[in-house]
Amino acid sequence: MTPSDIERVRREFPGRVIDYFGSIDSTMRAAAGRAAGYVVVAGEQTAGQGRHGHSWHSAADSGLYCSLVLKPTPVLTLALGLATADAIAQAAGVECDLRWPNDVMLGGKKVAGILVQLSGATAIAGIGINLSQTAFPAELEALATSLKTYTDAAEILIALLREVDRYTSEDPEDILRLFTHASSYACGRRVRVDQPDGVIEGTTAGLDASGFLIVRKDDGTDTLIVAGGVRAAGS
Amino acid sequence: MTVDEIRELINLAAETGIAELEVQRGENRVRIRRAAFAGTPEIVLPPTYATAPAAAPTPTPHEAPREKPADLNLVLVKSPIVGTFYESPSPGAAAFVRVGERVQPGKVLCIIESMKLMNEIEAETSGIIESRLVMNGQPVEYGEALFAVRTV
Repeated sequence: MTPSDIERVRREFPGRVIDYFGSIDSTMRAAAGRAAGYVVVAGEQTAGQGRHGHSWHSAADSGLYCSLVLKPTPVLTLALGLATADAIAQAAGVECDLRWPNDVMLGGKKVAGILVQLSGATAIAGIGINLSQTAFPAELEALATSLKTYTDAAEILIALLREVDRYTSEDPEDILRLFTHASSYACGRRVRVDQPDGVIEGTTAGLDASGFLIVRKDDGTDTLIVAGGVRAAGS
Repeated sequence: MTVDEIRELINLAAETGIAELEVQRGENRVRIRRAAFAGTPEIVLPPTYATAPAAAPTPTPHEAPREKPADLNLVLVKSPIVGTFYESPSPGAAAFVRVGERVQPGKVLCIIESMKLMNEIEAETSGIIESRLVMNGQPVEYGEALFAVRTV
């Protein structure tokens, strides 16, 4: 993203503080302690954060790496997944799938990841979208992909900020309905899920009223997934 | 969960003077509800959402602990959401707090993850961590006690 790109984004959202760093350790760290509405974007992250100790591969100028400070809302993480997938569809014309709760998937691989840290009265959402990477480190090759041909990060960021505002204003019931419609993982999908006492396998059976994923095991019992890695069975 | 562990929880409920305490370890869950000033705590083992293996044996009434006066200096830190309890910022990293450690308001005690939302749970009072009531990686319910803090 160039200085003129970030100016283009700022013009779309007057009144919001949007910081840009060519290189930073982590946008999550930069957003800590800021007020709701704040946005920070980086050309590269040298220590990009993922879920619970995972890192986020953030090579220079090949992805959109940003953190948004938001007011906490119910089912926020599901709303952010929907917003990210919609932003990619609008700005890049690429239709993605959603893997519960909010991995944005393209061709069975992860193209965008979202992490939210709730601290005090604000939620900090870290969103990484792989734009133009053509190769990933060996350990990610089977798991990660990018939009490949599309590199206008500013246009995606503009769409993303707009869609995040829109989806975080929706009723939780609408978010659950929209997510169930948009995600092939919500219902009828064979999955394996890492749980504290081992991996379970079953078929997804929709979301409960809180947005948790119901997985029906082959013995007919249901397990409610509140956190943890969900992946397609056989992958 | 062993009878000794349940006994420890009953003691904790009696010491703190709280009305109800619910703890899950693995797939066993115990809820201890104190009848108001009536003496013996009541123990309820509700069915878990997932099919659980046989529940831990329920202590018989004669195993109920001695009554102690409510300890007003013990404060329970409870989970504000349903999620997974993490004692450290990442696997293998040092725990945010240890039993016996002195904490100040604002000190992060643990993380509860719910749908990739990492909720930092902070101490609200100054005190010493008396006990940790859940295991790392364990699911917790809304309102479930996570730590007992002895205020100083």
